[in-house]
Amino acid sequence: MRIFVTGIGIISAIGNNATETTQSFIRAKSGICPIRYLSTSHKNLLVGEVKQTNEEMKRFLGISQSTPSIRTALMGMIAVEEAIRSAMLDKKTMSDSMSVLINGTTVGGMDKVEDFYTDFIENDTKNEYIHMQHCGTCSEMIADYHRCFKKVNTISTACSSAANAILSGAEMLRQAEADIVVAGGSECITRFHLNGFNSLMIIDESPCRPFDAMRQGLNLGEGAAFVILETEEHFNKRAVQSKPLAEFKGGANVCEAYHQTASSPNGNGAFKAMKVALKNANLQPSDIDYINAHGTGTQNNDLSEGIAIQRLWGNEIPYVSSTKSFTGHTTSAAGGVEAVISILALQNSIVPQNINFENPMPELNFLPVVEKTQNVKLTNVISNSFGFGGNDTSLIFSKV
Amino acid sequence: MKANIYINAIKQISAQNALCEEWFEKPIYYSENFVKSLDEDYRQYFSPNEVRRLGKMLKRALLTARKALESNENKSLDAIITGTGLGCLENTELFLDRMVRQGEQMLNPTQFMNSTHNTISSLIAIDTGCKGYNSTHTHNGVSFEHALFDAVMLLNKDNNTTAMVCGHDEMTPTYFNFLQKAGYLGQQGETFASETAVAMLLSRQQTDYSFCKIEAIDILYGQPSDIVNIYQPPTEIDAIMTGINGFDKNDNIYTDVCGKLFADTPILQYKNIFGENYTASALGIYVAAECIKLGVVPLHLLYNKKRPKSIRKILSYNHFGGKNHAFVLLSK
Amino acid sequence: MQDIILELKENIIKALNLEDMSPADIDENAPLFGDGLGLDSIDALELIVLMEKNYGIKLRSPNEGKEIFESVVSMAEYIKANRTK
Repeated sequence: MRIFVTGIGIISAIGNNATETTQSFIRAKSGICPIRYLSTSHKNLLVGEVKQTNEEMKRFLGISQSTPSIRTALMGMIAVEEAIRSAMLDKKTMSDSMSVLINGTTVGGMDKVEDFYTDFIENDTKNEYIHMQHCGTCSEMIADYHRCFKKVNTISTACSSAANAILSGAEMLRQAEADIVVAGGSECITRFHLNGFNSLMIIDESPCRPFDAMRQGLNLGEGAAFVILETEEHFNKRAVQSKPLAEFKGGANVCEAYHQTASSPNGNGAFKAMKVALKNANLQPSDIDYINAHGTGTQNNDLSEGIAIQRLWGNEIPYVSSTKSFTGHTTSAAGGVEAVISILALQNSIVPQNINFENPMPELNFLPVVEKTQNVKLTNVISNSFGFGGNDTSLIFSKV
Repeated sequence: MKANIYINAIKQISAQNALCEEWFEKPIYYSENFVKSLDEDYRQYFSPNEVRRLGKMLKRALLTARKALESNENKSLDAIITGTGLGCLENTELFLDRMVRQGEQMLNPTQFMNSTHNTISSLIAIDTGCKGYNSTHTHNGVSFEHALFDAVMLLNKDNNTTAMVCGHDEMTPTYFNFLQKAGYLGQQGETFASETAVAMLLSRQQTDYSFCKIEAIDILYGQPSDIVNIYQPPTEIDAIMTGINGFDKNDNIYTDVCGKLFADTPILQYKNIFGENYTASALGIYVAAECIKLGVVPLHLLYNKKRPKSIRKILSYNHFGGKNHAFVLLSK
Repeated sequence: MQDIILELKENIIKALNLEDMSPADIDENAPLFGDGLGLDSIDALELIVLMEKNYGIKLRSPNEGKEIFESVVSMAEYIKANRTK
């Protein structure tokens, strides 16, 4: 059974939609900047923020300013809206089908909880925000805005959440539990996880440098991105006058079971995730043209992932880049953001470059893509998302 | 392809005595509105160094997982899937509270690391050495059913898989107050707020210890009036295990939906002895599984005084906020 | 110096939740990481928090702490020379 990606939607530091995102890659324009929207005492840090206030997003969505909301849900609503449009679906068709929303998020409405925590304790003025701490409430807010979903689920496996949402959605299609799946993730930057990553001392105060020998850590990012998945049969039945955007060939979720936060130095988890994904997709390593790496820019991840890539591909390493050098690490949304970026790469025959790279890592036999690479023939792309706790997921998308 | 899937082991730590079925004969009743779980003495089971960074909930998670595996004929494990509403709430609260009070300075990485929802599944993976599928579902009060559904999809695909499905939530006094203000816990007439720790093992192989078979899982999103139209109810069920908790706004949805879909079927409850929390339905499914295994329902679980004639099929129906509706059909 | 060492041991026990240990169990000259007390990378981060909280000493990375965290004695010496509270 073939699973098609028939729609995509994305909002991140490098654009409010798919077109702007592609343009940012073509112009090599990073979205990582000094903090502008988040209120925090760590003003020195660089982040990849979505360049809109909540008020602006509400206006765009037609939501009244007085409606309580959380940033993660607003970004999610925008990306889902774009995905539905790009699939040439309408709410009526979706409502009449078994349409499923699977959202990957971890911080949920923590942005408002951290703002109003003192109010929760001292008074009753902000009680409507208490439930919004839930990741599930965030997904429901996205679903309720669109009013066309019969099943809604939330997956939280830290930085691989959205990738697992896509994996889970594809499986629901294969097992006839859904007709149309909207899967991905959404996550805004909060003080909570900015301080969390800061306490783990894995934030680079300069723009992040994935796969660079001098890398000092990650820059946090935010965003939302969703794909629409349908079976070939369902898509053909809709009689849409266009080709699907890509095929989802397969993926894998494995657990490294090594450490609560760190990856193993020999990259066992990453190796296994990519290897099993290839097997599930019926592909050989040599079939892969581009690896959209997890590439956070931390000492630990890039070494572990790099070694895993080397183990799997030997001396025949395909294009590798980490687009976190553009978007920052969008944490739970990263699997969705990078799945959409991988599909945009396939569609536009471009390989996003790995910016800020200067110094090769002595441990690795390959360099990431450092120059603009356009008009390349891409057939199969693998996208990696690795989370805390060794939650490692790889997804493979292919040209149709 | 729908395979036969069995629940072969279940272990719980809750407001009832831990790691046993004493609640079946002699349930403990509570008059408080917030009850912490009856913990084991974890020093019996873990070396101090092994668990020094872990709060109560993570210790419960490791212990229920270990005990479930010990009690299973097959000791191998291929997948770990957890459902949790608010994850490791105690650590989340500690980190949040200090962040707010200390002006984002001098924060402890351990609390942050333990605050992520998926730390439960990943710690169990490290403890059991299970390097396979590992996921965490966190969809409010139907998180556990989503985890169970995920496991069923996995088993439908692969004959030789043993999957562990866990339900975990903890409650703190601060969050009890928050959620009471938000209209979720401690409402008029409502049973006590509680905590859940449940680990189950699922496989396609029936064993001498199997509790029951999972026939179907449907988790739907919508108003009760939509659900009554979309959901295709199974026939010949002996009882419905509901999340009735004493709070009218919650209970009326159960009685309405059950009245429309299953007019004369006996209604059962479990929250009167296990309390209310986001993954309480994991305990509800455990209770239903135990009743099927023993072929009898104890009197304290009857809600509408109707006693089922036989117990071969129980439908667990759990709704959250009247918007999420989870149906799990269990049979002998 | 002995005062700082004892106080530091108590602080370490508290910060790292070494609940089965007393100050007397910690050899102040033994390595904190690896073979000695057997601490790991997360503990190193917790020690950085401890240094700032209790002694007003800010370390920027675990690498910077490597030599300082060799043993309780090395920590105590560093604290004595650099404490701001």
